[in-house]
Amino acid sequence: MRTTTRGLMAALALTPLLAGCFAPGESDTGAGPGGRLRVALAVPPVQALSPYSNDATVLSKLSVAEGLTALDKNGTARPGLATSWKQDDDTTWTFELRKAEFQDGTELTAQAVVNALTHAGAAKPKPRVLSDVSLTAEAEDADTVTLTTKSPDPMLPLRLASPALAILSAKAYAKDGAVSPVGTGTGPFEIARLNGKTKATLDRFDGYWGGKAKAPGIDVSWIADGTARANALRGGETDIAEWIPTAQAKLLDKRTRHEVPSVRTDSLILNTRSGMFADAGLRAAARAAVDGSALVDSVFGGYADPAQGLFGPAVPWAAGKRVEVTDRKEAATAAEVKTGTKGRTLRLATYTNRAELPEAATVLQQQLEKAGFTVKQDVREYTQMEGDLLAGKYDALVFSRVTLLDTGDAVDYLASDFTSEGVYNIAGLKNAAVDKAIRAAAAERDTESRQEKIMWAEAEILRTDAVVPLVHEQAVQGIADDVEGVILDPRERSLIDVDTRLK
Amino acid sequence: MSLTHTPAAARSSLWTAAAGRVLAGTALLGAVALLPWLSGTDPARTVLRARSADQNPTPAELAAVRDQLGLDEGPWLHLAHWLGGLPRGDAGVSWVSGAPVMPQVGTALSVSLTLMLGAFAVTVLDLAHWLGGLPRGDAGVSWVSGAPVMPQVGTALSVSLTLMLGAFAVTVLVTGLVCARTVLLGSRRRLRQDRAGTTAAVLASLPKFLLASVLATVCGVWWGWFPSSGWEGPQSMVLPSLALGIPSGAMLGGMLDQALPAAFHEPWARTAYAVGLPSGHIGRGALRRTLPGLLPQLLPTVVALVGGAVAVEKIFNIPGLGRLALESAVAQDLPVLQTATLALALLGVAAGILIRALRHALLGRPLRDGALPALHRPPLTVPRSLRWGTAACALLLLTLVTAGLLRDPLQVDTAARLLSPSGEHPLGTDALGRDLLARLGHGALRTAWVALVVTAVSAVTGLLLGMAPRASAGPTEVVSTLPAVLAGLLIAGVTGPSVWGAACAVCVVGWSPYAAQTAALLEQERASGHIAASVALGAGRLHLLRRHLLPSVVPALLRNALLRLPTTVLVLASLGFLGLGEQPPTPEWGRLLSENQPYAELAPWTVLGPAAALVVLSVLAVTGSVLGRGKGE
Repeated sequence: MRTTTRGLMAALALTPLLAGCFAPGESDTGAGPGGRLRVALAVPPVQALSPYSNDATVLSKLSVAEGLTALDKNGTARPGLATSWKQDDDTTWTFELRKAEFQDGTELTAQAVVNALTHAGAAKPKPRVLSDVSLTAEAEDADTVTLTTKSPDPMLPLRLASPALAILSAKAYAKDGAVSPVGTGTGPFEIARLNGKTKATLDRFDGYWGGKAKAPGIDVSWIADGTARANALRGGETDIAEWIPTAQAKLLDKRTRHEVPSVRTDSLILNTRSGMFADAGLRAAARAAVDGSALVDSVFGGYADPAQGLFGPAVPWAAGKRVEVTDRKEAATAAEVKTGTKGRTLRLATYTNRAELPEAATVLQQQLEKAGFTVKQDVREYTQMEGDLLAGKYDALVFSRVTLLDTGDAVDYLASDFTSEGVYNIAGLKNAAVDKAIRAAAAERDTESRQEKIMWAEAEILRTDAVVPLVHEQAVQGIADDVEGVILDPRERSLIDVDTRLK
Repeated sequence: MSLTHTPAAARSSLWTAAAGRVLAGTALLGAVALLPWLSGTDPARTVLRARSADQNPTPAELAAVRDQLGLDEGPWLHLAHWLGGLPRGDAGVSWVSGAPVMPQVGTALSVSLTLMLGAFAVTVLDLAHWLGGLPRGDAGVSWVSGAPVMPQVGTALSVSLTLMLGAFAVTVLVTGLVCARTVLLGSRRRLRQDRAGTTAAVLASLPKFLLASVLATVCGVWWGWFPSSGWEGPQSMVLPSLALGIPSGAMLGGMLDQALPAAFHEPWARTAYAVGLPSGHIGRGALRRTLPGLLPQLLPTVVALVGGAVAVEKIFNIPGLGRLALESAVAQDLPVLQTATLALALLGVAAGILIRALRHALLGRPLRDGALPALHRPPLTVPRSLRWGTAACALLLLTLVTAGLLRDPLQVDTAARLLSPSGEHPLGTDALGRDLLARLGHGALRTAWVALVVTAVSAVTGLLLGMAPRASAGPTEVVSTLPAVLAGLLIAGVTGPSVWGAACAVCVVGWSPYAAQTAALLEQERASGHIAASVALGAGRLHLLRRHLLPSVVPALLRNALLRLPTTVLVLASLGFLGLGEQPPTPEWGRLLSENQPYAELAPWTVLGPAAALVVLSVLAVTGSVLGRGKGE
């Protein structure tokens, strides 16, 4: 045992010696010093918080960077860095900027805005908010910017609220196309340090145009595992933990548990292109067999709403404008299903990335088997199966989809998922009526009637039974008792702002 | 199989070993480089997903990504570029983040290293320093964020170096505790009864991720003794070290415990006792005699934790190399994956060489001169309680399986979710209201069968390869630190989702502990006098193998394999997300544990049942083997 004992002794002797260089930065395990907020976020940065990646939402969640506009509760545009805007003609808009300062001390000018938007347009691959539009920006004078789109874009002010189009100072944009929001935003908090994929330190930016933030700073840690996030909150290691998994939600104190309707809808996508569900009667049988409300209290532990359509309670205007689905195909009986499937097995796919989906698939399997189908599951990591999904190798997919993408407009989602040329058309839907309805919605400029047309399109899509909505998810945010002013945003774009603070 | 050690032979063996290492490393890197082309999954797609989750994969976006990554140049050119950059300390740029790879891998590696440490703290420190030093030499590279790389890497590195001290320390501690009784009794010559090593088997079969969950909840959240997650100070490493170290220590302890009686049985121990030397002296001597046979197991058991502790790293939110490698593999971020693989392979080889040196230092001249007496177990009485214990375990498992088979394991009843054990559901129900007893019973046969087959194939492969120690040293070292998930990805790429894919993947990496063990034991056995005597008497190779070499290796190998059985079950289940193995909702023990893990605190019975079943299986296997040995003698 001699060698090992020595090693052990050496190890023990080294511990106190090296303990000093442990935590990069602060070793804050107690309460945040001086009222600093401690936040545990779920998705670690993939591109050093570049606004052109997944990381963009972090910038808006933590109020680091802002766009020309922002979204209000109802999903309409309100002033951000632009105080007002007007549409000059179909493709031209003018934005008046407010007096604001970047965190690096430079002034917000029209030139800076042009620079930021030009970089976003030239980014490769394009940020998804710009995927269907070409934007040209020009500085009219010091605080006026003219934006021109190639084709008419009624949603432009909504688009500009996307965190991907946040305005950063010239310093942020490197020659090689990399973008760094560290100390280059205009928000009330500035990133002081980003420590790889695990931690970031944010300090209050005193020059914020909207007044000083109440919290002196934010300490962000990224904890990918949901249980670990919940544990961090329960153990008092963090003040705010986002996205608590439903399995952990019940363990949280009632006062720290806050549910928010999310724009995510989980649905069963049926492959209309090939296989057994090319038959509309079988699709109708599957639709009739599947009951999403059975998932709400079981798989989702109550943190979901039974599906009303593609758009749930997080889309406030949807319920009032919903169009009833009529002329639905008659569902086949169990006996007809048996003969209709001709002994084929229903290949039911789902992915492991969202913990609830595999459980939901098992419940659905039983429901479908009751209706006469023979079901076989295929559950894998999403990236492992995306190619197969788009190639139509499965009959059905339990799918979780964000229905309002970056624009805050639903047409994007409908067009990519359900039109015949849609790039994300897993159902393989090719239906003239659906195409027409979605095109009509896309062309509509008036917000009210656009929303109505979107709901018409929803009814057209549901009539085909290519998609069976199951539940509308709710996100559970864990917020410690002594924190106030946290924003519960269905779009998951805001979390902390000027008014958030420790009591 | 030369028995003499001339300088020329030693030199040639050195070359063979070096060639084996280079060859194994090259093959591995080649396979990894081919991953996107093997898997048939477009890396442009996976990289785009990793960067931007809900983005529509339009042809234009995919083309842009492809262009950016230079995917059109094909695997070999890409590999050549990457290799060409390495000497300059440039491992390329991550496809996902666009950030240089070296600092990422260096940081992650050093964090992981801290998780496994111990007696080798100093050496590993050097290695991590060296790896961390690579990017330091390359001041031209900067993060995407524009922040200076060096201070960041430097701090992170020193952070992780500080913590080298955990899992290995725990492993050593637990190993010590497990064999304490044998050492105490043996050194006082009071060792009469055989031991089954039930404690070791129980501890070794505890799933690490479950242990981690429990520790995080109990010590982190309930009692608040240690932080439940993060990597911020010496206190952060306590819980992960325990979770990783306890099962590893129990496994090593279980093996050492079985080897010790033979050492105490040797004439020198008797003489030392008769002369009146202190018992500590005898104990140390016995350990020195048995440790060399155990040391090679450190490689697959402890050093492998650097890349293979993904589940524990996730639970404690530790930015280690295992997670980095897994994430990059799933996103097909080749530069990161290649560098991580290279780092793991180098680590394996370095640790292998070190362990070899340590063994030779411990055994010293006798090994060189072929004057090492063989270790032979004394005849020990098998305690009666052991027989009862074995019978009880067998009966328990049998009851479980029979009772379970009579019930429906697939019946989902969402109204009856997470019910605690009752008359109707003796083991409770899971989150979908399925009867756990039924799922355990139906999963038992499949689980045990697949795990046994995989273990048997791995052990036989290991045995065969271990017989050519010089050639297999390289592959053994390289493979032993390779996470099974990586093999799984390669297999999934070739076969697509398949039932036997998981078994194949585990076999591909699972043989290394057995090969290492066989090589070490054979080396010792060949150095013993009685082999030389047999050769002198005209024994042929086959005779030597059958009558002398195999009998000395197989019992220890069997013990090792049985102790690793529960780990095999869990590793098999961990590949499910790649589509390898049985698909849900088929019940299978490993899956039962992983799918119920989130409910461990809310409904402890959902994991207790499967974990207990695994423990019982493992105890049954180990005690059964002891009984069999007793009969054999």
